[in-house]
Amino acid sequence: MNQAIQQILTQKLLALADDELILAHRNSEWIGHAPILEEDIALANIAQDELGHANLWFELHQTLTGDDPDELAFFREAAQFRNVQFVELPRGDWAFTMLRQYLFDAYELLLLDQLQYGRYQPLAQACAKVRNEEIYHLRHTSSWIKRLGLGTEESNRRTQAALDELWPYAQQLFVPLPGESILVDEKIVPNLGRLHESWLERVRPFLTAAHLTIPSNQTPPTNNRSNHTHHLTTLLADMQKVARLNREAVW
Amino acid sequence: MSDTQWPRYEVFKQDNPQKPHEAVGSVHAPDAELALQNGRDVFVRRPSAVSLWVVKASNIFTMTREELEATPDFWPKVSKAAGTPTTFHLFTKTSQRRSMTFVRHAGQIEAVTPELALRDAIENGRFDADNVWVWWVVADEFIHRSQADDIDSLFAPAVDKTYRQQSHYGFVSPRRQKHGREKLDADERR
Repeated sequence: MNQAIQQILTQKLLALADDELILAHRNSEWIGHAPILEEDIALANIAQDELGHANLWFELHQTLTGDDPDELAFFREAAQFRNVQFVELPRGDWAFTMLRQYLFDAYELLLLDQLQYGRYQPLAQACAKVRNEEIYHLRHTSSWIKRLGLGTEESNRRTQAALDELWPYAQQLFVPLPGESILVDEKIVPNLGRLHESWLERVRPFLTAAHLTIPSNQTPPTNNRSNHTHHLTTLLADMQKVARLNREAVW
Repeated sequence: MSDTQWPRYEVFKQDNPQKPHEAVGSVHAPDAELALQNGRDVFVRRPSAVSLWVVKASNIFTMTREELEATPDFWPKVSKAAGTPTTFHLFTKTSQRRSMTFVRHAGQIEAVTPELALRDAIENGRFDADNVWVWWVVADEFIHRSQADDIDSLFAPAVDKTYRQQSHYGFVSPRRQKHGREKLDADERR
């Protein structure tokens, strides 16, 4: 692998890992607070799976850079994170959390479908392994969105409000990194523009069938994964607190 | 205030194709599909399974041996029912041990009502009725099942999970100090 490819691949892996890490943490905030015990467990399961996926991407990143995953997760500042703003927004109400997870699952499953046939073997193999989990996530979050959208006046209103807020942010998932086209040319990662079309073809009719209206604003607030909202700083203060109490602690 | 709790579903897990479905516990859910998903998350995220059934608890006809003995006029009442027979599934509990005993799927029977299915099950000799402590009878239509093509997404990920057994948690028990981790892990695999 030449240096240019390796450099952009490490950036891509870090972006993938950060998306999953931050989303997993947001979902984990529901532990002990979900509307019903069974859902508390279900969402904790999903959060833990996403954390496992983050760990996979961090480990692949480590094989290329030597960077320790714990060091990256717990000792970077907000400006050094490469996640999209979509995943760092506060968890909101149950409709907001379920809708965000649904939109992300639909994206991730399509992404994994493609990545598993990519030419970078370690990445392709890791994808094939986690794809099964993602099928289940999408089944679970789809079930919820259907029920929330078609449920009561209140559940529909809350889900619609979540969609209005999240829709522009979700589009940032499909903004390629500067230079990502090298990886597409090498058939290591899929073309995000085409992935975006597949995603829209999947989520639009589904949301409409759940009596939700697709917002017209489709412009992400930023195209740059270095830009973050202030919410990421608060999230990291919580997530990194214990690790930073004692750098040498053994877990 | 009215009860806002979701209805209860009993969850039946099949560990492998050679074993019967066993009642492993219950979940609350708004409907059968979410009950199946909740059952998966609560009971088989780590244990092995090949199939999961859920049944709304109110659709299970239950009878214990004690109840039967305490209701001598039960059978005469039952025999008055008439109609078209349908398929009922029988589940039985045959042990009074305190742990690791389950209400297990024992077979199916054609009958007009769950009560008649039970009477037939007790009288026809197929189900070793003398050793049954608890009977559950469920009409086939009330069983919501995972499908064969769900195996990969519902059950396969469990195989790769860490902490599948209690012994994987980092506690040092006197037993482990004495025997070492390898022996305990080997015991659990057996």
